[in-house]
Amino acid sequence: MLKDYFRLAFRNARRRKLRSWLTMLGIFIGIAAVVALISLSQGLKSAISEQFVSLGSDKLIVQGAGSGFGPPGTGVEVPLTEIDEKVIAKVKGVDIAVGRLVRSVKVEFNDEVNYGFAASIPDELEKIALVVEANNYKIGSGRLLEGGDKFKIMVGNDFAKNFFDKSLQLRDKVIIEDKKFEIVGILKKSGNPQQDSTLVIPQAALREILNLGDTFDIIPVKAGAGDSLVLVAERIENKLRKHRELDEGKEDFSIETPENILATLTTILLIVQGVLVGIAAISLVVGGIGIMNTMYTSVTERTKEIGIMKATGARGSQILLLFLFESGMLGMFGGIIGITLGFTISKSIELIAFQIFESFLIKADFSLTLLLGALLFAFFVGAASGVFPARQAAKLKPVDALRK
Amino acid sequence: MYKDYFKIPLKEIRRRKLRSWLTLIGIIIGIAAVVSLITLGQGLENAISKQFQALGDDKIFIMPKGGLWGMGSSEQLTEDDLDVISGTLGVKLATGMGYAFAQFDFNDKVHYGFVSGISTSPEERALVGEAQTWKVREGRMLDRGDKFKIVLGHEHTKRDLFDKRVELGDKIKIHGKDFKVVGFLEKIGSPPDDESGLIPIDAYADVFDAENELGFIIAQSGLGEDSLLIAESIKKELRQFRNVDEGKEDFEIQTPDQFAETFSIILDIVNIVLVGIAAISLLVGGIGIMNTMYTTVLERTKEIGVMKALGAKNSHIVYLFLVESGFYGLGGGLIGVLIGVGLAKLVEAIFTIAVGPAFLLIEIDYFLIIGTLLFSFIVGCLSGISPAIRASKLNPVDSLRYE
Repeated sequence: MLKDYFRLAFRNARRRKLRSWLTMLGIFIGIAAVVALISLSQGLKSAISEQFVSLGSDKLIVQGAGSGFGPPGTGVEVPLTEIDEKVIAKVKGVDIAVGRLVRSVKVEFNDEVNYGFAASIPDELEKIALVVEANNYKIGSGRLLEGGDKFKIMVGNDFAKNFFDKSLQLRDKVIIEDKKFEIVGILKKSGNPQQDSTLVIPQAALREILNLGDTFDIIPVKAGAGDSLVLVAERIENKLRKHRELDEGKEDFSIETPENILATLTTILLIVQGVLVGIAAISLVVGGIGIMNTMYTSVTERTKEIGIMKATGARGSQILLLFLFESGMLGMFGGIIGITLGFTISKSIELIAFQIFESFLIKADFSLTLLLGALLFAFFVGAASGVFPARQAAKLKPVDALRK
Repeated sequence: MYKDYFKIPLKEIRRRKLRSWLTLIGIIIGIAAVVSLITLGQGLENAISKQFQALGDDKIFIMPKGGLWGMGSSEQLTEDDLDVISGTLGVKLATGMGYAFAQFDFNDKVHYGFVSGISTSPEERALVGEAQTWKVREGRMLDRGDKFKIVLGHEHTKRDLFDKRVELGDKIKIHGKDFKVVGFLEKIGSPPDDESGLIPIDAYADVFDAENELGFIIAQSGLGEDSLLIAESIKKELRQFRNVDEGKEDFEIQTPDQFAETFSIILDIVNIVLVGIAAISLLVGGIGIMNTMYTTVLERTKEIGVMKALGAKNSHIVYLFLVESGFYGLGGGLIGVLIGVGLAKLVEAIFTIAVGPAFLLIEIDYFLIIGTLLFSFIVGCLSGISPAIRASKLNPVDSLRYE
């Protein structure tokens, strides 16, 4: 019985090949646009969270209460100090806490002047090892900074390639804030844009050229295994508040956990995705209207047939189902082709983006949920568009229909 | 003769009312989406450029390079730089500002916000006020002779920041120093601005230990002077004074025009992406027209046969069907434009109530409307080409026999 519905619907769709194809074309363009956009934004989202995970779900960042505007350390009221670093390092559950400076500096090379951010690295060997471990710095060529290096720097891969017109080589000299520095290492490309465009400079040298005291801009903290990050963050907040003699609610520092930042980013991405997919979905509505049109035409053309079916005992509900199956099938086949097309589009965008920008952020993400969801949705659009025409068909009086 | 080309298609469109409406709706939705998005994008751009115009195109901003708005940069501007700028030919007036992030302490609660140090001389203060679009809502602006006085942003008049409204005459601690509140500003609309405070530049230097350091300098060109040219000469003078080579400047100079340009480029890109995606629905609508036209051709096979038998040429048949599909496009476009503009106006109204009047400024662009109508007509015609050609190529004998 069910098989008959399918067979009849399929045969009828094939009877008017051109019209069926055009109707499906409308649906599959819409589905392809929606699927491509969702998969790309989903890919972006997972690429970002992946980066946060590689950054470490066990890390949090302590910084002076700031504007959240501009680089860390910008316009902070009460800067963090080396003593704060020690206080934090002693907190239970804290594995590593090493303060760093992130500053905007003037960099000159080959008669070109640019402004960029420099991140400091401690001068003691053990602490360097901690920073290297925490940030997963991997050397591409040359060597990592060592204790005792002063006017030496290491740079990220993108920094070396793109910061100046001429790309930087190992042992090149750049002038930072009027002091000469030698490049001793170029980091391996990590795929994290922030890390790849970094300039790492010994802490003592950065303090000297910028005339800074014993302060830090950020103190990244790595929590020990098994400790809850939220709990550790709370303990740090308590200890630091006590140490700085502040009342609760009057902290002059803030603690950011990756979850915090990720949550903000995810919200923004969701809004962007919503707007884009919403606009793309308009074309699906138009495609649905196309199905409705086709179905009405189909009902008109087949009035006589419907009359015969009814005369030989078909009930109204059977006619209704027959037409609903037909329109649902148009939607679903359109959906299948649309998903394939959408997949192809987003994959090619991913490849092109990788070729041109070497970006890992643009990635097509395909979940089974998306595939099934899109398919179901396409079927639903088709069936919903068919409701009115199918009802019209079901309500035809056999006598009138036969006379047509 | 020509009249027939219009009369017959119109009659045909009306004959199958339901189908014609559904076909039209496809185009209407697409056109409405495209038109409302373009209009909204344009409205946003209008609003922004109006805000920049309010700044006045005679203002020139000078700030240290690196960092953001002079914050976090390793370079500083000084009083001497201000003197150099004031002395540049064509500059009517120049004033320096300090800009810092500070703790606000009131009612035993703290919050962090920006503090600007500004000059208290009336003309210089007016220049800063104009450039930052500050207006006093309550109390007064800073005046000559003021030292530890402060004018606060609009948010301070609400309870949210300190659980208590700040009143005129209250004392508020900035970076640990007491300041007396003498005025409140009108709402600007951006939270960082509305939560900030203005203090005299002398007090700023004291409190923040920033003697002779200026976050940025605002210059005003004389009447009738070209700001861009003056910006160039300031650049040259300052370069000489600070002893840096061309292309290696450690400071930046911007005019409102340049800001506006950057903004409009970003907006244009966003708009193109959105309109591009919306245009997909137009494509789908066009396919709908094509489908309807093929169906029509099929239904009217016999009619076409009769017309041909009576001497109609292939080109006559093509025109007839092309005009019909063009009508679908044009009609859908007409209604779509109306709905699209209406939608944009509605969004503007909602925005004005929810956020304030400064964000959207919808102007009805007649070029856009005419362009859209033309475009939708072309979409209709293009969708009709292949069905029309098929109709014209029908063999009269076969089509007469078609059942």
